Amino acid sequence: MDALIQLIFFLTLLTLGYVFGKIAEKKHYRSIIEREKQWMQIPTTSGRRVLGTDREVKRVQLATGSVVISVDYFKRILAGLRNIFGGNVQSYETLVDRARREAVLRMKESCPQADQIINLRLETASISKGNKNQIGSVEVLAYGTAVYLYPASTAATSP
Amino acid sequence: MHPSSEYRPGLPEQNDNVSHNHPLKEFAVLLSGVTAFLLLAAWSLGLLVDWAASFISPEMEAVIFSSMRFSGAALFVQQKDDPRRAELQRLVDELGRCNEVGYPLQVNMAQSKDANAFAFPGGRIIVLEGLLDTMRSENGLSFVLAHEMAHFKHRDHLRGMGRGLVFTALSALLTGAGSDITQLVAPALGVGQARYSQEREALADKLALETLHCFYGHVGGATEFFEAMQEESGKQGRGIGGYFASHPEAVQRIDALRSLAAASGFTVRETFRLSTVLVPDTSSQ
Repeated sequence: MDALIQLIFFLTLLTLGYVFGKIAEKKHYRSIIEREKQWMQIPTTSGRRVLGTDREVKRVQLATGSVVISVDYFKRILAGLRNIFGGNVQSYETLVDRARREAVLRMKESCPQADQIINLRLETASISKGNKNQIGSVEVLAYGTAVYLYPASTAATSP
Repeated sequence: MHPSSEYRPGLPEQNDNVSHNHPLKEFAVLLSGVTAFLLLAAWSLGLLVDWAASFISPEMEAVIFSSMRFSGAALFVQQKDDPRRAELQRLVDELGRCNEVGYPLQVNMAQSKDANAFAFPGGRIIVLEGLLDTMRSENGLSFVLAHEMAHFKHRDHLRGMGRGLVFTALSALLTGAGSDITQLVAPALGVGQARYSQEREALADKLALETLHCFYGHVGGATEFFEAMQEESGKQGRGIGGYFASHPEAVQRIDALRSLAAASGFTVRETFRLSTVLVPDTSSQ
């Protein structure tokens, strides 16, 4: 009987995790896609040099954006089951994908006037370390060099 | 618009970094895999336990469990001189003529308000005092004792212990993999365990009924204990909890005993009153 009560409790958590996790994920992806379109105009590369331009560099600045995202209960259980059999932990894929894209977006949003962002780097950290099975969260930090250019001296050079 | 001709703004048409399989499907496949594996493991290990139990002779069992101390053992020792204990022992010894267990059984009593009796490894029957308050006839008490003796005859106490070990080991295995999954799969194991236990109880009831018929020449009083249990628990059924219970429901056991008695042609006659030694003395308490 105890096992049954535990099961009901567990299934409730699982259902709540699934439903609310799904809603949160859908909402987040909608926001990510919309903002990615909006910020697409800032060229962002992992290269070390400023993308070819005849304009002079006015100043550079460190730009960072970071985000912490947690998985829902359902995904955590699914990953736990996957742990037994091995293979792709598909339930965590959206977690890190959302975190990476959100971090880059936040970085761009931190320097809306920049002409370019170069030297983009991404770092990932797990928040759950040392607290096994309690929290499954990931932090992604995106950082790069925001480059501000002088206005073009002659508009004709620009295509 | 852009300062650089190297850069063409654009977004990928589809996200290749995430899988598009339905997570519920993955969940169902993985969970049924784990459950199937565990049920198979529990089932085959259970058969191994049964097989091993048949190899443990009464002598070996006595050696293994003689050093074992049950919790509350001091209570039993204090009651060594209890006349009730001697009377119960006499009853068990006499019932042994009809149901040869194969090794000496020792009856002990334990202080408890609950009406119950247990079969412990090492040939020990523990009778809770509450049982004597509940039973009205000697036949009814004999049935309960014969039921515990049947557990010894069937080696159910060893099987039960072995299966308990298997259950604990499998649970530990799961806990190692992630304690949340234990909660999900444990009920399946629990239902399997309960089914087996109920089956063994029914078999013990059957042998106890035969013992009762052999001893008294009729099966009057066989259902007395279960009727008392049913009265106590009330009329409502156990619902879904019944699937997890180690014993069948009292009403089911009564029905099973009646149909069994009818099928075997056992009759029901007048029962003996409980020996005066066993009747609780209310004036001294």
